[in-house]
Amino acid sequence: MNDVTSTMPVMPCLLRTTETQHELADYQQGVTRWCDGCGDNAILAAVQRLCREHDLTPEKTVFVSGIGCSSRLPHYMKTYGFHGTHGRALPIAEGVKMSRPDLNVFVTTGDGDCLSIGAAHWIHALRYNMDLTMMLHDNHVYGLTKKQASPTSPIGLKTNTTPTGSYLDALNPLTVTLGVPNVSFVAQAVDWIPEVLFDILDAAYRHKGFSFVRIIQRCPEFLPGMFDPYLQDPRRTQLLFHDDGLKISTGIAKVYSNRLLHDPSNIDRAREIASVEDPIPVGILYRNERVPRYEELRHAGQLRTADQVRRGLDAELDRFTIWPAGASPASGASPS
Amino acid sequence: MTDVTQEQRFFHLTGKRSGTSLGSIDGLALRPALFAGFHDLSRLRYDYPVVLVERAGDGPFVQTLSGRIDAVLEEIAPAGIAGERMRRTLLRLEREVRVLLGEGASGQLWTLWREAADRLVALGGAAIEEDLGRARAALGADGEVVDCDSALPALLVAHAWRAAQEQRALGLRRTIDTLIVKLSDLVRADHLRSELGRGADTLRSGVGASHAALFDFDVMAKLLAKPSGQSALSAQRRARITGVLAVLRGQRFVGGAAAYGYEFAEIDAAVAAFRERLAAMAEVVKAIGIAELEVAGHYTESMHDDYLRGYDERSLGAAELALFPGYLVCLGAGHGGGSARAGLVEALSQGVPLKILVETDDILDESTFSEGSFSLGTQLARSAMGLGDVFVLQATSSSLYQVRERVLAAMLYPGPALLSVFTGAGDGRTGLPPYLVAAAAMQARAFPAFSYDPAAGVDWAQRFTLEENPQSAVTWPVHGFSYADGELQRATERLPFTFVDFVICDPRHAAHFARVPHEHWNGGLVSVGDLLAGSDGAGEAVPCVYAVDADRRLHKLIVDEKLVRAARRCADTWHRLQELEGLKRTPEPIAVAATVAPAPPLPLSLPSLPAVAGSDSEPASDDPYIETARCTSCNECTLANNRMFAYDQNKQAYIKDSSAGTYRQLVEAAESCQVAIIHPGKPRDPNESGLDELLKRAAAFA
Repeated sequence: MNDVTSTMPVMPCLLRTTETQHELADYQQGVTRWCDGCGDNAILAAVQRLCREHDLTPEKTVFVSGIGCSSRLPHYMKTYGFHGTHGRALPIAEGVKMSRPDLNVFVTTGDGDCLSIGAAHWIHALRYNMDLTMMLHDNHVYGLTKKQASPTSPIGLKTNTTPTGSYLDALNPLTVTLGVPNVSFVAQAVDWIPEVLFDILDAAYRHKGFSFVRIIQRCPEFLPGMFDPYLQDPRRTQLLFHDDGLKISTGIAKVYSNRLLHDPSNIDRAREIASVEDPIPVGILYRNERVPRYEELRHAGQLRTADQVRRGLDAELDRFTIWPAGASPASGASPS
Repeated sequence: MTDVTQEQRFFHLTGKRSGTSLGSIDGLALRPALFAGFHDLSRLRYDYPVVLVERAGDGPFVQTLSGRIDAVLEEIAPAGIAGERMRRTLLRLEREVRVLLGEGASGQLWTLWREAADRLVALGGAAIEEDLGRARAALGADGEVVDCDSALPALLVAHAWRAAQEQRALGLRRTIDTLIVKLSDLVRADHLRSELGRGADTLRSGVGASHAALFDFDVMAKLLAKPSGQSALSAQRRARITGVLAVLRGQRFVGGAAAYGYEFAEIDAAVAAFRERLAAMAEVVKAIGIAELEVAGHYTESMHDDYLRGYDERSLGAAELALFPGYLVCLGAGHGGGSARAGLVEALSQGVPLKILVETDDILDESTFSEGSFSLGTQLARSAMGLGDVFVLQATSSSLYQVRERVLAAMLYPGPALLSVFTGAGDGRTGLPPYLVAAAAMQARAFPAFSYDPAAGVDWAQRFTLEENPQSAVTWPVHGFSYADGELQRATERLPFTFVDFVICDPRHAAHFARVPHEHWNGGLVSVGDLLAGSDGAGEAVPCVYAVDADRRLHKLIVDEKLVRAARRCADTWHRLQELEGLKRTPEPIAVAATVAPAPPLPLSLPSLPAVAGSDSEPASDDPYIETARCTSCNECTLANNRMFAYDQNKQAYIKDSSAGTYRQLVEAAESCQVAIIHPGKPRDPNESGLDELLKRAAAFA
């Protein structure tokens, strides 16, 4: 028997008469507080363009973030946003998606927020494979707290927490991600090639499942010049292309001659490519549409009426209620 | 020609016995020879009884008892000798359930299982009890157990109908509930924004009594005196939403205490109920449409008010009607005559989503052997097919399990559906189980199974199928038959199951047969199958057919000419159905016009790309420019001079007005650009101070 969708458009003829096409301004809000030249601006522009290209309804779109420079992004989107707690962007986004699978849910997080304090959530979000689009803003440093070493800081980087240089090899988020069961979409972008950044985010959004996009971004304030060698020498950026992956425009191809044919369905090859850090591989490393999604397995989207929510909250709160002597607890909580 | 041969031929031509060499079959309780192995159905494993599963979710709505037992065995009985006792026990239990049903028991699977288990335990002891206990735990969902009898079609079809309607009602119920919640949220939000909603009393009730003393709600109410954001709902919109909520909450189509019923005993009552509910149906559809627009914020009064004002039952289309449950009518055998049947076809043609089950239990009346149309009760289904948009399923009760998915498809089909079923039950005149009579009717092409699904494709070939019939490509299905001859040696023949075999089952037509004693079997007697096939159609051949009696003794029966002619007409009717089925043949491929160019081969390598230089976007003059497509939107240049630099519709920078700033600003912007995409060009003002130095700096961005 066929599944029944949760809602059925009964009178599409009526809806068609009110079709609207959103402008970029419909998704823009406030003045960014990022430093001049910050790569976050490029990511913000790309996601706003993505929203416009897909004509996403602002009130059906949510950006969830944790803590850090990157996590300010929801403030600049004229959509719903949730500026969460440190490292907890993913579980919040999962909760949103679980109860409202009809929403477009994006997650913006940084290398400190996601790969350090939020690492456990990152791993399990990959396993859950919920239909979320995650953007990992990776500038290799904690910028909001004024230059502290992050998990992706290169060894030897001098920061306020590692004044003599960081001691450990940097974490490679791509190889870790590609080692997690149920991973379904992994890509890498750089903020300084906006066209490719947009194309990758577009593919990530279209993917039905958890899309992990690492975006290497510049931090001109605390790590000025770190990526200059890559900007000045386009051959140190390797574009991954394929009919089922990224398609390179002639304009981009003119500048970036270092290109590699890579089939995104080949996870072994994806792992090999992910382990290379110079040149920076840019493109879709892995994609698998057949991985089951947690919200489907758990039948998300069940309607919760106000009464059900109230009953659930009452039951939960009653567990901690100290009942007056002689009072009879209504929900099974025992007087203490 | 001997006397015996003359008597045989005389009977064939006249249907009258002369002389003493032929006998009557009255009282012999004969059945077709091919049914020789089916004397005690309770000892056989076959499709019946079935379990009408009380399902949750997408599981099957009907399963065979044998299938359930097999599933249990697969789960708990280890392979090989270790699981042998369990297998033996469960197969005995399955047989016991069949025996119980044969004795008149009925009920749920778990109940019958317990009764059968009690019988076995009484015979077998603790080991069997332990095995059955384990098996019971693995049995799964309960459901009514139904054997292949007169009650089966109505029970199975109604069960399928409920499964389909449950699915459809769930979809509509979810839509309505979701919209109610969302519209209620709109109303609630509006209330909270109102003066009353921001008042001290509302705030106090929101906090609750426990901590009310901690807050000064009057002060809080003053702080909230001015609502932020947009204004509240207009009175017109609030009234519209409230009205829609009232319609959605009060609807009776799905859920609720006063929900409509959809099962009827008469077609007229079902049609009347449908017509009576049309206006309410239109109201609900309109309310859903308004609610969806309101929830999406797309309701435009100037655009929608007029349209919706004129929305009534005449506006309902097939898509809207498909949201609501269908109307089930089960007509038992013998219901109505020809006029009632004509009324049925008329009702089906009115587009009412009726799901009509018509049962037939007798297709062999005397008119069968008259010349003229040979319908055998199949006329109704063929008439309904002619209507075009009616889902038609014809089957015998013996094949209902095989066609279960088509039954469900008929129930899910948004338009009307007709299910015509031959039960085989009769009034017990045959002495055979209904399962065998029904199976004989299908084997003999007397009541063939077919379906016509208007939604299955764009042409007749895709919509019509005969595939549920045995050996549907030939006139009569042919099966192997073995018996012991007079010298107790094994003899094997290939026998067709013809219409004549089916008539043997009905003692009312015993006069069409004459029994030939074994001593008079001779070469002049030919198989009726061969005769009907035309290979022995001429000359002196006398058609005969094998039958077996209750003691499993083989008899050879001569068939009279009337019956042979009826068999020929039956074959002709079957051939007409085969012709429809024959439309399925794959058409010859149409030659592709020579002028159509073949598709170019896919490139195996990266296509050749233009040279790096000479991009269209780069001006050849000395004007300043930005490689806009590479802009990372970092704000450096726009913050430096937002009259000279601006963002385009993609939020990427371009030079809006090069005269709005100095050449120095252009050079500094190029130097500060993180991705070095600003090209200052040549200075516009040759008198600008420090130009030599600026030109040197600009050279890096030429």
